[in-house]
Amino acid sequence: MAVVEARDLVKRFRVPAVRRDTVREHALDLFRRRPAETFTVLDGISFAVQCGETIGIMGRNGSGKSTLLKILSGIYQPDRGQVITRAPLTPILELGVGWNPELDAVDNVCLLGVVMGMSLAEVRAATDDILAFAALERFANMKLRHFSSGMAARLAYSVAFTAVRDVLVLDEVFAVGDAGFKARCEQRYRDLRAAGHTVILVSHDPRIISTYCPRALLLENGRVVADGPGADVASTYLAMLT
Amino acid sequence: MELEAHGAPADTMAASPVVFQRTHHLDLLWTFVRTDFKTRYHGTIGGFLWALVKPFAMFVVLLWVFSFLFDADGQYRLRLIIGLFLFDFFAESTKAGITSLHAKGYLVSKARFPSWIAVVSSLANAVITLGIFVVAITVFRTATAGAAPAVSLALFLFYLLMFLLIVTGFSLAASVVFLRYRDLNQVWEVVVQAGFFVAPVVYPLDIIPERYHAFLYAWPPTAVIEFSRSVLIAEAIPSGRAHLLLAVEALAALALGIAVFRRYAPTAAERL
Repeated sequence: MAVVEARDLVKRFRVPAVRRDTVREHALDLFRRRPAETFTVLDGISFAVQCGETIGIMGRNGSGKSTLLKILSGIYQPDRGQVITRAPLTPILELGVGWNPELDAVDNVCLLGVVMGMSLAEVRAATDDILAFAALERFANMKLRHFSSGMAARLAYSVAFTAVRDVLVLDEVFAVGDAGFKARCEQRYRDLRAAGHTVILVSHDPRIISTYCPRALLLENGRVVADGPGADVASTYLAMLT
Repeated sequence: MELEAHGAPADTMAASPVVFQRTHHLDLLWTFVRTDFKTRYHGTIGGFLWALVKPFAMFVVLLWVFSFLFDADGQYRLRLIIGLFLFDFFAESTKAGITSLHAKGYLVSKARFPSWIAVVSSLANAVITLGIFVVAITVFRTATAGAAPAVSLALFLFYLLMFLLIVTGFSLAASVVFLRYRDLNQVWEVVVQAGFFVAPVVYPLDIIPERYHAFLYAWPPTAVIEFSRSVLIAEAIPSGRAHLLLAVEALAALALGIAVFRRYAPTAAERL
């Protein structure tokens, strides 16, 4: 049974030549025309992800991968089409998640864990493990604004790997952290797959897609141009770049 | 079984977020309130306690100062304090509500959760201040003029509840509109400053010709301030029609706020 279905997704962004973001600007330019360019980022994307399946998504920068993940995760709304989800979905997007820089690591873990759907009791019980997975136990009481971007990203992935319910949506997860953290991520990822979780994984890395994704999609100009075994799609992607 | 369907033209806000059960809403609300307080009061003497001490200290200071200024008129002193605290609640909560969604932009743009909780949680600080004021004014009233009748206290709490509904409705609508008009908070500050003199905070409503009262009552703080003074000080209960109008105003404000929020919140992440 498909746990995530994308049906004919279309997403356009209208980018005005001059942005007007204030009451004052709107009032002053009330009768002035607003030239704008419309970019079609997704142009009729359809696919289904089966329960327990791992699907990779590849594509050049600007091909629509991140927008697609945000629409699948319910963060963006499509202009046309529909997403059907039949299981809880945990997204972790754009090399990390949002942090409050004025809070320490423990409070941020609590905040993010609850936002990702964990109960407070679950987050409290898992906080030590989350910090240990990210190798940040020593920095538990340090404010996030003192963290490097790599440390913050490690913590984010650690929370997401713990918070995952059924479907995990990952954007470039294996591009974060040092070799040790990458190895732990890959192990956790294998554990999740073995436990039957469904994974939607975006990566530019042909090795990752070939190794972990029995099936992958290749996006180009907002369309699916290839849908097949991960190794084949990775080869097509490499050929497209050269 | 479809846990959720979203997309055009479906109404996505009608469906619950993918990762959320309703039982988690309280956890999320509590976490937002707790972390907001921690951020706000971190490094202050007393930390969280400051949130409780500040409104009480303000009450004592105002009472003391007004005791000198309006020594001969004890009622005016109390009327002024009630007006100032209620208007301050309105000003602080609406200002916090306007920027609430933007302030949580770091989460809204990265995860899916019921974003209305971010708006509601932003009102917590003002609600706690109001709660302290309610305790202080009740204790003071009891100490100086005897305990207020139960019906007066019940009506006072009813007015505060209606006030909270109005503020919540405004905040829900303004939080999504702010993402389109980023100077809305500054415009609102000017409106609130002018509104301070529209509401009868420092002057008695009687000095305004009665034919203008309807306009003054259109400004939400006016009715709540006047009705609260009426039941707490004069022990006179406003008419049933007045109560009905206040309730209708509050429910209409909340309904409008929810409607605007549901219309624009699904695209909030795209505007951050």
